Amino acid sequence: MNERQQMKKQRLISVAAVIALAAGSAVAVAPASNAAAKTFTIGYQGPLTGEEAQVGIDELNGVKYAVKLFNAKNKGKIQVKIVEIDDQGSGTEAAKVAPGAASNKNILGIVGPAYSGATIASLPFYKQTNLPLISPSATRVSITDPAQGLIGFPVFHRIPVTDRVQGPALYKLATKGVTSPVVFVIDDQSPYGVGLVQYMKLGAGVTIAGSDSVPDKTTDWSATISKVTAAKANVVIFTGYYAQAATLFRQLRDSGYKGVLAGGDGVLSPGILSLASSSILEGVRLTGGTVPLAEISQKLEDDFKAKLGVSSGTYAAESIDATNIFLSCITKGVKDRAGMLKCVKAFKGKSITGSSLSFDQYGDTAGGVMNGFEIKSGAIKYTGAVK
Amino acid sequence: MLNNFLDQFATLTVGGLSLGFIYVLIALGYTMVYGVLRMINFANSEVFMYGTFATIIVIRDLFGFTQQSEPATGFRLFYILFLCLVASMLMSGILSILLELVAYRRLRNRGSNKLAPLISAIGMSIVLAEFMRILTDSRYVGSPRVMEKKSLGTFFGAELRLDNTIIIVAGLLLFISLSQFVQRTRLGKAIRAVSMNEDAAKLMGVNLNFVVSGTFLVGGLMTGAAGFFYVLKYENTSFNIGFELGIAAFTAAILGGIGNIKGAFYGGIVLGLLETYASFFLGTQWKAVTVFIVLVVVLYFRPNGVFGEAITQTRA
Repeated sequence: MNERQQMKKQRLISVAAVIALAAGSAVAVAPASNAAAKTFTIGYQGPLTGEEAQVGIDELNGVKYAVKLFNAKNKGKIQVKIVEIDDQGSGTEAAKVAPGAASNKNILGIVGPAYSGATIASLPFYKQTNLPLISPSATRVSITDPAQGLIGFPVFHRIPVTDRVQGPALYKLATKGVTSPVVFVIDDQSPYGVGLVQYMKLGAGVTIAGSDSVPDKTTDWSATISKVTAAKANVVIFTGYYAQAATLFRQLRDSGYKGVLAGGDGVLSPGILSLASSSILEGVRLTGGTVPLAEISQKLEDDFKAKLGVSSGTYAAESIDATNIFLSCITKGVKDRAGMLKCVKAFKGKSITGSSLSFDQYGDTAGGVMNGFEIKSGAIKYTGAVK
Repeated sequence: MLNNFLDQFATLTVGGLSLGFIYVLIALGYTMVYGVLRMINFANSEVFMYGTFATIIVIRDLFGFTQQSEPATGFRLFYILFLCLVASMLMSGILSILLELVAYRRLRNRGSNKLAPLISAIGMSIVLAEFMRILTDSRYVGSPRVMEKKSLGTFFGAELRLDNTIIIVAGLLLFISLSQFVQRTRLGKAIRAVSMNEDAAKLMGVNLNFVVSGTFLVGGLMTGAAGFFYVLKYENTSFNIGFELGIAAFTAAILGGIGNIKGAFYGGIVLGLLETYASFFLGTQWKAVTVFIVLVVVLYFRPNGVFGEAITQTRA
């Protein structure tokens, strides 16, 4: 071997040694970093595709925001991952995806389900596997009502107030400022829509001049509109979801109806703004057990937008609250579902709105209010608590 | 209630008629194909749905309308509406021909049993709907308002809104054109010949494949027109919009007598009116119940529909 060949060989050995050293370091560093940061998983369940997807995407963004802040704060110590569970807001879909989520033992808790029907369909699987739920938006009374079998107990909890509060509040908001209101109520035959009307009727001073119950795929509203006209209604309340509300409101306005249009939290979604023109939707009154982040603090909204690249949507605050409860339990050292359920039930803390937050024995929060909204110039504006 | 019904009768009738004409055009798609091939093209509901999307694409993407846009007026409006109608008809017509080529022709040429094309039709219906579901993320797609829905006046107390009037007048014109086409043109005569006696028509030199493709094209064009009218009236669509409309139009075709153009016409109109009146009188929740009770009663006395399957006499 001449000098030149020897030098070449030495160079090769040096390069190989450097590569080996680098690889060795990487291998050595990787377990150290894994050992330092413990990873936990929570889920989000709601409609991420389908007609109601906007609601789910907005809520998921709330969850992501809370987790992002948490992970940044606990860098190197605790990291939280989110598993997305898309139930399309439907009970049928929920029954298909819930078993998978229930059997994923890494998931310590789920923010959601977003919708009541999907919640009821998912509950058997989650109850069987002791998986704690905190819904930012499922408002059906029966889920936590002892008189109706307490179907959500013990795993279900929720941040917003129920339809028992929303029904009368929706009537109150819809008729606010209307002299001699003649109210016509339309439900979409869903358990949510029918239930909301039932609780509305229980409110003090509620008088309903006429009503109709339409299948949730209705596109032609001419018969219902004729009934509204015949009843000489000046307030129309729709208890269904935003995609259908858009077609109803549009056809009502096209028919010459000039009275108040109102809807519950199923209609409260920015998604409605892309389905009907702003002139049709101008003045639509909506209720929801949610508070926009910008109303809590503009700084909070700006930070949300900076971190996620989009403005916050419906139920962002409630999703952040629900996520924060799970995160606080993880900080306290909870490692399994049983521990998480115990921790959630015992939780006493603050909502990002500043008010106290805890659950009663059935999973409801105490002292919540129903808020009012109005569509103005193509945007949904918060108008304050309905009183 | 009766007084209210009488007060609203004219308005309900106009609404029911415009819905009925949409049913008529979709029902023609079913009936034309059945008349020639004696098979139900269940994918026709998806042909309709793709037509609605074609209209919205023209409005939204070609002309750049948004929910905030001002509606068009004058000649521009006419031009946009015409293009939408053409786009919708072309989309559905071409899709219909492709369906025949891909899903039915080979089965027909190889002498499959009667059930194979039926399953193939249902399969294609699902494929087309699911494909659109994936494309649109299962969401409703809203159409920006392209035309101000002005009132043209009143007729016996009913407000004649521009969109309803366009649907009724244009729907009637399309139906008359189709009837004349089947009655007078060479292809129309060939379609009638095949529907009367396929073997005899072939012996007389009729190109069966050409006639079948022509039938699918004509049926698709009518169904596409329905897609345009649907968007004009309801200003939205979704991947599953064809299902309910398709069932309704199929019911209309059966009610009138499937395979019979006149039957599809009267079946569609009667169904549109019946649905609207029943919804008003009994509540919308009773609409489907009423319609199907009437259908069962009609079929009990007239098993082939009101106008029967007398294709040879009445198809044209």
